[in-house]
Amino acid sequence: MLSFNSPINEEKKYNDLNIIEVEPIIKINLRSNKREFSTKIGKILSILPPNEANTSSGNEKFNLLWLSPDEWLIYSNDKEMSLDDQTNLEDKLFNEISKLNQGAVTNVSDHWVMINLNGNKVYDLLSKSCPYNFNDFKNKKGSVAQTIVNHINVILHHKQENNLNLFVRRSFSEDLWLWINDSARFI
Amino acid sequence: MFIINCPYCGERDQTEFSCGGEAHIERPKQPTELSDDQWAEYLFMRKNIKGIQFERWNHIHGCRKWFNVIRDTSNDKIHAVYKMGEKPPIKSL
Ligand SMILES: [Zn+2]
Repeated sequence: MLSFNSPINEEKKYNDLNIIEVEPIIKINLRSNKREFSTKIGKILSILPPNEANTSSGNEKFNLLWLSPDEWLIYSNDKEMSLDDQTNLEDKLFNEISKLNQGAVTNVSDHWVMINLNGNKVYDLLSKSCPYNFNDFKNKKGSVAQTIVNHINVILHHKQENNLNLFVRRSFSEDLWLWINDSARFI
Repeated sequence: MFIINCPYCGERDQTEFSCGGEAHIERPKQPTELSDDQWAEYLFMRKNIKGIQFERWNHIHGCRKWFNVIRDTSNDKIHAVYKMGEKPPIKSL
């Protein structure tokens, strides 16, 4: 667990576009439809899971993304978070939620690879192979979208203007990384 | 290509969805009392209408939730979208 092996380990710079793999960071998937779930998460992370579709909440430490009416994704902003702190967080969530039948807590740190895309050409790049309409997403900080890029499932999280984090499944990450670099030459 | 309004995520391209076939087919209450023909009818036989059809769809590349769609199969016009377990907002057209 948590070996953080990555097929990418790279950073690339193009005109108006920087792409970099941001790893290792902890990611935890949460599923619940119980009423106390929200307050429990609030107590542990000091952020509440967003109820509104396609949005996120967060503080300096963590982001909490809406994935579905009963599913969320936590990820850390801190690459330096110690393994002990990560284990503690996971245990705390697991004991408060999974163990008490309040939902499911799954560590997906090794499941997703996070790539940061930054620059004026971010949306030009994605639009080359993504059916999602970015008009609202672009202007709303914290927006979340699950969609497909080059036929690959991704989660997109709007961090700042023209700066977003893209999550891709590990086994698809190398393929998507190659596609991003290939496409970035033509924007 | 057409746009489907996911009841959870909003309007998205059709490529993010997957169709689960005809909706509102009820599983027989007493399967053991059915003849083979009746069971086959329940399992395999679908209306496949040219026109207004009630279908189940899944937002498979998004929120992964199931929901119902009333779609005209002849021109892909979507007349209504509603959640699982809800009554169809229109009976039939
Ligand atoms: Zn959806």
